[in-house]
Amino acid sequence: MNTYIYPKSDEMLKRATKVIPAGIYGHQGPAEGCHIPISAYPKYCDHAKGSYYWDLDGNRFIDYMCAYGPNILGYCDDDVNAAAKAQMDIADCTTAPSYKMVEFAELMTDTVAMADWAFFAKNGGDTTTLAVLISRAATSKKKIIFVKGYYHGVHQWTQSADAPWVLKGEVENNLMVNFNDIAGLKKVIEENKDDIACFIGTPYMHGNFVDNVLPAEGYWQAVRKLCTDNGIVLIIDDVRAGFRLDIAGSDHYYGFEADLLCLCKGIANGYNVSCLCGKDFLKSTASSITYTGSYWMSAVPFVAGIACINKMKALGGGAKHLELGRKICSGLSKAAKENGVKLSISGEPSLFYLMIQDDNSLLLHQEWIAEMVKRGIFLTNHHNHFTNLSLTDEDINFTAVVADEAFKVLTKNHPEVYKK
Amino acid sequence: MKDQNALAYINMFAVLKDLEKLCELDAEAKALATPTKPISIGFNVGNGPQATLTFADGKCTMTEGRTGQIKLKLASPEAFNLMVDGKKNPLPYGGFTKLKFLLNDFTKLTDLLNKYLRADEASLKDRAFFEKSTTMMFYLVANALSAIGDYDEIGRLSASKIPDGSISMEIAGGPCAEIVVKNGHMTTYNRKAANPRSYMIFADFDTARGLFDGTTESMSALAQSKLIMKGFIPMIEHLNMVLTRVAVYLA
Repeated sequence: MNTYIYPKSDEMLKRATKVIPAGIYGHQGPAEGCHIPISAYPKYCDHAKGSYYWDLDGNRFIDYMCAYGPNILGYCDDDVNAAAKAQMDIADCTTAPSYKMVEFAELMTDTVAMADWAFFAKNGGDTTTLAVLISRAATSKKKIIFVKGYYHGVHQWTQSADAPWVLKGEVENNLMVNFNDIAGLKKVIEENKDDIACFIGTPYMHGNFVDNVLPAEGYWQAVRKLCTDNGIVLIIDDVRAGFRLDIAGSDHYYGFEADLLCLCKGIANGYNVSCLCGKDFLKSTASSITYTGSYWMSAVPFVAGIACINKMKALGGGAKHLELGRKICSGLSKAAKENGVKLSISGEPSLFYLMIQDDNSLLLHQEWIAEMVKRGIFLTNHHNHFTNLSLTDEDINFTAVVADEAFKVLTKNHPEVYKK
Repeated sequence: MKDQNALAYINMFAVLKDLEKLCELDAEAKALATPTKPISIGFNVGNGPQATLTFADGKCTMTEGRTGQIKLKLASPEAFNLMVDGKKNPLPYGGFTKLKFLLNDFTKLTDLLNKYLRADEASLKDRAFFEKSTTMMFYLVANALSAIGDYDEIGRLSASKIPDGSISMEIAGGPCAEIVVKNGHMTTYNRKAANPRSYMIFADFDTARGLFDGTTESMSALAQSKLIMKGFIPMIEHLNMVLTRVAVYLA
C-alpha cells in the first residue's frame, strides 16, 4: 500500500504560521490535536463528501474524526445542503429572527426526551456556560461539581488555576469528584452543603489518554436522586456524544433525566448551531439571563438542523451509529489480535476510543496511528473517534485492511516488543 | 508574581548550578576552576536553599547542603536573591584563608556566567558562543522547571498534575536533561534520560534559543516540527504550564 506525503499541506501551514497564531489553533491543529509525528498528517482540507475528505495534495481519507463530531450524516449531505441553500436565498441573519427558529425549537423539544424548551447558540461551550449561569441564577448558589478528567469547553470557569490566562477567583468554586463514585459525590455534597449550584458531567467518561469509562449500573439514577434531594441542577454535557447514542438524548439512553442538556455537534451536520435544552422549572431563569450573540439566530443553520434531525430519524438515529461503531471496532480488534498487539477499544462504539497498551509511553500507539493516517484512515492519537451515517461496509472493511498492514509495520519496527 | 523563596531555589539550583556547565564549556572558566587545592563555597540561606559549590581540577560541582570551606550566610531568600543580582554582599563566616578565591576567581566566574546567560547581540553572532550560551540557557531552564514545580505555588499545582515518569528534554544532537516526576515532585538531572515516558525535543539550537528568548511562537514551532513532543503527552502538557512560570522568573 502506498503511503501519503503532504508537500502542499506543509507549504500552506508555513504560510499560515506567518498570519495565524499556531498556524491552525485549537483541537484541529497539529499541536493540540496531538498529530505525532506531525509529518504523518495532512493539515488542510480541499473538499469533502460523505465519509471522506481530500487534502490539498489530493490524498483521500476515510475520516473517523468527523470534524470532531459535527459530521454526523456525511459531509456535504445532499438533503441538508439543499435545505440550507434554499434558506440562504430567503433569509439568514436578519433583525427579526426567522420563524424557522420556532420550528427548530419545536422539533428539538419533540425529539429530545427531557426538553421542555430549547435555547440556540453557536458552540458547545456557549451552552455549557449558559447551563452553569442558569444553575447559579436559579439556586443562588455558586459551586460547581465537575467529574475529574472533564472537558466542557474552554470558557474561564472550565479551566485550571495554573493556566496563566486564568484568575484564581474564576475557578475557586470548582469541586471535583471521580466518575462512578457515588460515595465521593455524597461526601462533596455534605462538605459543601447548601452552596452547590450544579453537577456537570458527560454521559460517560470520554476523556483523553485513558480508556473511556461507561456509567456503572445505577450510577446516573443515584446522581439524579442526590441532585434532586439537595437542590442541585443536573447538567449533562452531551455536546460530544449527543445523538450518536440516542436521538432522544444520552440521558434518555442511560435511563435518567437531566435538568439541562447541552447539544451541539450532532444536531445540524456541520452547520453552526448549538442548543441548550431545559426543563420547564428553569425556563423563566433562562429567559432572565442576558446571553446572546451576533449570529445566534441565523436561519440557515436552523433549517439545516431540521433537515439533519429528520434525516437521522429516517436512517435509524443513534442505534444505527452504534451498529456502525460495532462493525468498525470488530474489524480493528480482529486485526490487532492477529498481529499480537494489545489494542484497547473503549467507550461507546459510535465514539470508540483506541489505545495500544503495550508500553506506558503511548509511543507505539502514536506510531500505529501515524501508519493508519499515512494510508488514508484519518484517526487521532488521543481523542475518541466518531461514526457518520454515510459509512459503508466497504469503508469499514478497508479500515480493517489498513489496520492490519499498519500493525504489521509496527510489529516489524519493534521486534523488542513484538517477538515472534 | 515572583515568590522570593521559589526565586532563591531557581538562583541556587538553576543559575549557580550553571557554573558546572560553564566550566565544561569555557576554557577561561575551566582555568579559574583549577585552584591548587580544591576549594568549596557553602551557601547558607536562612529559610531557603542550602548548597555547596566545589571547584577542583577545572570542574565545578554543586551538592545540596552547606559543607563548604568558605561559608556564606544570607539571612533570607530575599537577601540571597539580591546577592545573585549583584546588589548585596554575603557575610563570610568561615574559610577566611580562601577568601582570595571568593573575591577574585569566583567573581570572575560569575561574571563569565553572566556573559553567557545575559548575552548581548554582538556576542551571539559568533556561532560557537551562540551554541554555548544556548546550551547554558537550556540547562538553566531545565533546572528552573524543577525549582518552580517544587517551590512556586502555581508551579506546584501544575507539577501535581504531571503523571509519574521521566521526561526527556533535549536539543537534537546537543544538550540533554532528564526531569523525573514522582508524586508531583520534580527533579532535574543534567543527563540523557535512559527510559523516558515522554519527550520535548528542540529540533536545533536556533529553535531552542528563539523559544527561550520568546522570539519564537511555541505552537507554530510545534506545527512545523521544530519543537517535537511525543510519548505520554499529559506529562508535557502540564510541564508546559510550569514552563510558563519559568518565563515569569527568568524574564
